[in-house]
Amino acid sequence: MNTYTYPKNDEMLQRASKVIPAGVYGHLGPAEGCFIPISAYPKFCDHAKGAYFWDLDGNRFIDYMCAYGPNILGYCDDDVDAAAKAQMDVANCTTSPSYKMVEFAELLTDTVSMADWAFFAKNGGDVTTLAMLTARAATGKKKIIFVKGYYHGVAQWTQRADAPWVLKGEVENNLMVDFNDIAGLKKIIEENKDDIACFISTPYMHGNFVDNVLPADGYWQAVRKLCTDNGIVLIIDDVRCGFRLDVAGSDHYYGFEADMLCLCKGIANGYNVSALCGKDFLKPVVSSITYTGSYWMSAVPFAAGIASINKMKALGGGAKHLELGRRVCDGVAKAAKENGVNLSISGEPCMFYMIIKDDDSLLLHQEWIAEVVKRGVFMTNHHNHFTNLALSDEDINYTAEVADEAFKVMTKNHPEIYKK
Amino acid sequence: MKDQNALAYINMFAVLKDLEKLCEFDERAKELASPAKPVSISFNVGNGPQATLSFENGKCTMTEGLGGQIKLKLASPEAFNQMIDGVKNPLPYGGFTKLKFLMNDFKELTDIMNRYLRADETSLKDRKFFEKSTTMMFYLIASALSAIGNNDELGKLSASKIPDGSIAMEIAGGPCAEIVVKGGHMTTICQKAKNPRAYMIFGDFDTARGLFDGTVESMSALAVGKIVMKGYIPMIDNLNRILSRVAVYLA
Repeated sequence: MNTYTYPKNDEMLQRASKVIPAGVYGHLGPAEGCFIPISAYPKFCDHAKGAYFWDLDGNRFIDYMCAYGPNILGYCDDDVDAAAKAQMDVANCTTSPSYKMVEFAELLTDTVSMADWAFFAKNGGDVTTLAMLTARAATGKKKIIFVKGYYHGVAQWTQRADAPWVLKGEVENNLMVDFNDIAGLKKIIEENKDDIACFISTPYMHGNFVDNVLPADGYWQAVRKLCTDNGIVLIIDDVRCGFRLDVAGSDHYYGFEADMLCLCKGIANGYNVSALCGKDFLKPVVSSITYTGSYWMSAVPFAAGIASINKMKALGGGAKHLELGRRVCDGVAKAAKENGVNLSISGEPCMFYMIIKDDDSLLLHQEWIAEVVKRGVFMTNHHNHFTNLALSDEDINYTAEVADEAFKVMTKNHPEIYKK
Repeated sequence: MKDQNALAYINMFAVLKDLEKLCEFDERAKELASPAKPVSISFNVGNGPQATLSFENGKCTMTEGLGGQIKLKLASPEAFNQMIDGVKNPLPYGGFTKLKFLMNDFKELTDIMNRYLRADETSLKDRKFFEKSTTMMFYLIASALSAIGNNDELGKLSASKIPDGSIAMEIAGGPCAEIVVKGGHMTTICQKAKNPRAYMIFGDFDTARGLFDGTVESMSALAVGKIVMKGYIPMIDNLNRILSRVAVYLA
């Protein structure tokens, strides 16, 4: 296989670094995105379609990051884009919001099992923050229970006191418990009785740098009961998993019901909208909170969301994602085994997470992923991956071939570890 | 906010410790560190760090604890920090026969170190001086990281999140340091790391200097490959949080 080079990408990054902080800031950038080494990765997209994007040098990638989740059907999906374009011809950002907002809320509350209402914003962090504010307003309590290794956005309340931009007071009400640790959760509730506003968690533990952990049997049902018994609002951050596991919500998938469910990445195939869904008893509270944004009621993303959700349902929704993910994981796992590499694949298959366990520095893993990317399969070192419904059999087979060749290159470079 | 105790540890185990490196590459410093008979100075800081500097055969060595010939007693971390700032002069309570070294040679050594650490723009135009000055700053910062990680309240929080192992910190083609972390306790060793779990490598002296002076944006430098970070990234992420505290203390 040929390996890619990136002269135009690199030139653009030089330009970017002069006028944009960090060149590309945030999770899509080389720094936070853990592009190791940076020379192995594309930095800018030229165009995208289906399961692929093409970079500025014309290199094509099968994309297993899917813009970190939003690409759920395939890039530039014809049906979703047609709905968005049709809405754009009529109205988008207007003084009176479009009725499309109502239609979208009706569709979401019909689709998401726990949802009695939907409140729209733009990003995942907008709605996790609103969920926290709603829980505090509803309970009059201040403490928040997080699961260790959590990520619920970048707002101050989700950070640690040692981040230079965070004040100690902004995080002093944060409590931590391990995922799947019911005894630990009971202890924290007992120790902070009558002062806990909410428990917030992702449906399963999909943290970085560690094997991802699925809920143990009965875990979520026990959490639900503890929250109900102690007046704690149960918030599920479904920003990453939402609609990939189950269009009815990941709480539905795992057999329990959240009080609030945060959705974003999977609901409009890349059009910018997020939603906080909630139970009726919280509707008076959330409606009383001053919380809004200039573009939160733009109509184009609502139209796109309606088309995207309807297409997701028609194509088999979460079950189809899980099936595609299993096949990708099987191919990569087989290649690892044949090359004598101890590759751990964890989490739900449609959001698989990988770590090579043969060294504790992760340098071998970083070398392997770099070889994968240079051969046209975009993966990242230390984040879960994502499937999209445009993935073909050919793409999945090619992914396994690339994984195999990349393992061969990596193992050949380390005869001290991989002796034949 | 600066914690006076943490600052005292930085002043002792990063600033004064830098004299070791100074005597390795500055000829006048080497001369001054070659007294006719070995000389040692103990710094006894009440409720703070204790260490001894020894000067012999052109070398300076710092050891933890007391036992030096010249004994300096500082009542508190604040008093020690004022001494380092040149605001306060402590009275020695032992080693009176060696006072000439303290008053003259040691003072000259610290003056030379100041020239490297607080270098003026004209001096920095000399490339050799620039690299030596940057090397001194590198070792100072590498040592300050551990002092902050072990003594500053927020630094301790960051250090507690660093998984066990060692981090290689380097300027490519220049100085190296190893930061060993075990159970949240940090130790800086001013030598090349033997089996690091993570790497933070500054691509060249100019990049390192720009970062130390705050004229280079670290994330952009990382994006364009002027800084390399690899290996177990959570170690580096948390180390960077402590690095941001270095600026609070040493700016």
